[in-house]
Amino acid sequence: MSIKLNVIDLPKDDYTGGKSTLCPGCGHDQISTVIINSAWENGLKPEKIAKMSGIGCSSKTPAYFLGKSHGFNTVHGRMPAVTTGAAMGNRDLTFLAVSGDGDSASIGIGQFIHAVRRNLDMVYVLENNGVYGLTKGQYSATAVKGSKKKKGAVNKFQPIDLCKLAVNLGCTFVARSFSGSKKQLTALMKAAMSHKGFALIDVISPCVTFNNNDESLRSYTYVKDNDVELHAYDYIPTYSPIEGVEVPEGEFHDITLFDGSTLRLETIGSDHDPTDAVAAMAALHNAEMEDKHVTGLLYFDPDTSTAIEDQCLVETPLAEVSDDVMRPSASSLEVLNARFRGKD
Amino acid sequence: MPVERDDCIVIGVPMTKMARGLNPKLGRMIANMMYVGLLAEILGLDQGKLTKALAQQFKGKARAIELNLEAINLGRAFISENVDISDIPFRIEARDVDDDVFLIEGNEAVALGSHYGGVGLLSWYPITPSSSLAEALIAYIPEIRVDENGDHLCAVIQAEDELAAAGMVVGGGWAGSRATTATSGPGSSLMSECIGLAYFAEIPSVIWDINRTGPSTGLPTRTQQGDLTMLYEASHGDTAHPVLIPGNMEECFEFGWKAFDIAERLQTLVFGFSDLDLGMNRWACKGFEYPETPMDRGKVLRTQAELDAIENYGRYRDVDGDGIPYRTLPGSGLDPILYRGTGHDEDGIYSEKPEVYQALMMRLKRKMDNCRTWLPQPVLREEDEKEVGIIYFGSMENSIQEIDDILEDEIGRKVSQCRVRSLPLSPVVEQFIRDHETVIVLEINRDGQLYGILRRELPNDLIGRVHSAAYSDGLPPRARHYSELIKGVLKEVAE
Repeated sequence: MSIKLNVIDLPKDDYTGGKSTLCPGCGHDQISTVIINSAWENGLKPEKIAKMSGIGCSSKTPAYFLGKSHGFNTVHGRMPAVTTGAAMGNRDLTFLAVSGDGDSASIGIGQFIHAVRRNLDMVYVLENNGVYGLTKGQYSATAVKGSKKKKGAVNKFQPIDLCKLAVNLGCTFVARSFSGSKKQLTALMKAAMSHKGFALIDVISPCVTFNNNDESLRSYTYVKDNDVELHAYDYIPTYSPIEGVEVPEGEFHDITLFDGSTLRLETIGSDHDPTDAVAAMAALHNAEMEDKHVTGLLYFDPDTSTAIEDQCLVETPLAEVSDDVMRPSASSLEVLNARFRGKD
Repeated sequence: MPVERDDCIVIGVPMTKMARGLNPKLGRMIANMMYVGLLAEILGLDQGKLTKALAQQFKGKARAIELNLEAINLGRAFISENVDISDIPFRIEARDVDDDVFLIEGNEAVALGSHYGGVGLLSWYPITPSSSLAEALIAYIPEIRVDENGDHLCAVIQAEDELAAAGMVVGGGWAGSRATTATSGPGSSLMSECIGLAYFAEIPSVIWDINRTGPSTGLPTRTQQGDLTMLYEASHGDTAHPVLIPGNMEECFEFGWKAFDIAERLQTLVFGFSDLDLGMNRWACKGFEYPETPMDRGKVLRTQAELDAIENYGRYRDVDGDGIPYRTLPGSGLDPILYRGTGHDEDGIYSEKPEVYQALMMRLKRKMDNCRTWLPQPVLREEDEKEVGIIYFGSMENSIQEIDDILEDEIGRKVSQCRVRSLPLSPVVEQFIRDHETVIVLEINRDGQLYGILRRELPNDLIGRVHSAAYSDGLPPRARHYSELIKGVLKEVAE
């Protein structure tokens, strides 16, 4: 029996991780599977991926995928900063980050915002369930107003919509998806991995233990029944010629991603232009007014420079530059000493 | 209001009136320069030097130079017309210039030292009195940290807060570059969580704390040595961090680069500890010495062959028995792990097993105990008669000579000195205490923080001979305060 290999001749086993310890049926595990499939099918080198996370159910998941990649399960809400520092140290790494709604919308909202603002080149997967799972089900800041979790009162507070926030901040790739929409999530995940800049995928990922009851607006059933999809997506990798891909019957348009791959947006219902920030905000607002969840690629900007590009660093990752280049020469210090002594 | 003090010479001068006479509009702004003129005349300060200083300060703005000069002359004229300066016993005399000595701020010296340590990332959040360290570091990049194409060898990020600045340092160290941040007490408080992460996950990191007066927002533009205990034990749980404590400009530079060597060798977070007085004032410097040794990058495995040469490799396994494990870097593909701030076994896998946790914590302690002998050692100046020993650190160096002189004058004997330059404490400090009958710890804080650390770490038989002389009012140390405290301790001991 031959083992199926990807474009860089690696089996899918090279992209899997440890066994999940999350609750059976957790949406997060479906997302982990999508991450494994997407990284494998895109042919990313496992050793060049860095898995980053904060604290929470979602942030545990890097143990469950990409076992051949280094990772850092950091502290609560501080993953964006640690990732920023790591990116400055090694610009060749692909940063694949997982966070949750507690991590990103509460304790770490400042760091989330500033990583977006800097356009740090990373994939930021937000596994969003509206509750704190590890501490047994308290509401988070993304819980939908009027929603009721399994135990406790109705949530009275306005949710923080991180997609809206990201669009406002000029985030260069903003998508929302649903852990139950494997096809859509996979296409968006692959596109995010092919993007240069900050790629946010806010994945509604129902908490089966604390927030999957009928009164919850984040339950599997509710999200499935109230999902407004912006487009249907096809991700066409750079290694398969686009001419070979079957052309859809209806209207579509293609987005070329940084690595040369294509995201094909097929129109369903009214057409959404992902380069139009106002349209993205309108789509999010309208869905919220109707207690719906809008999913798909909301906003896309391929042109803005990244945090690394703004630094004007040498091409070689700083961690790999030799010590005698990193340390200035002895003669340079002589020059400085002479100048300080007024003898230059 | 008349000044009623017998230790002052009082000269009344109608400053405002005179200044308005010179320039009605700018009178208030030039009154200070009239004061310069008064003092210059009283003390006999050469006008040539003043004129040169004015030209430097105003860089060719002729009108400003002229106006300020007029104000100085007005001050001088007032004294020569109204005061007999032969009654005043103070004069300034020029000293021979030492051509090799120059003036520089401690913060600039640390910044330069960091560059000669190959710093690859500065993340920082502006805070007095550390901002000038970050700004000096940034200012030198175009000159000494670019390659032949002009591309930079050091990244700089002005972070959103100190939480993020510290997180970025940890990320940089994790990725294998040398990362640092500069802050002060309030920032170090915020950084605590990532400091604990660096300690537990064993990530080389460097933080410079330029101490200002605490607690809380405190006195932001005043000085203190009040952060010492916090730095040494920062973050929750059992922790300890090496603290490097320069006492002069040469050491600010040296510890600037050495901090990275120590952090990478120990795979832990290292503090540099300076203060507003040392950091933001200009002090004499004999020149900076180029690092005599190549960078110490610590135990990093960079090839498969290096990894294979280690039997039973695990990220956190103490293969050499010195408490320091080997590490591989992200991007290398060599035995990758998921780093974590949670409990972990020798392979980096999550573990809650009691024996695993306890062994890990004891290894971390061993690592810290072993570095006591090779961190920057104390500077000793011992007297033959080993009766009284003084322990001090950091910016107290600038007052110690005067304290010593006062003591010699007033108690008629010289005292031995031990200037501590790092935590955890060297065994040399313990020996110094063992060698002296009475040991007094001088420090610029209220509680005697180093004294507290000594009491905790010294053997029981030595604790009784150590005494505290701690004082802090926001200003740099004045010798008189400390000499009085020392005399008080000696009197108490004698009774």
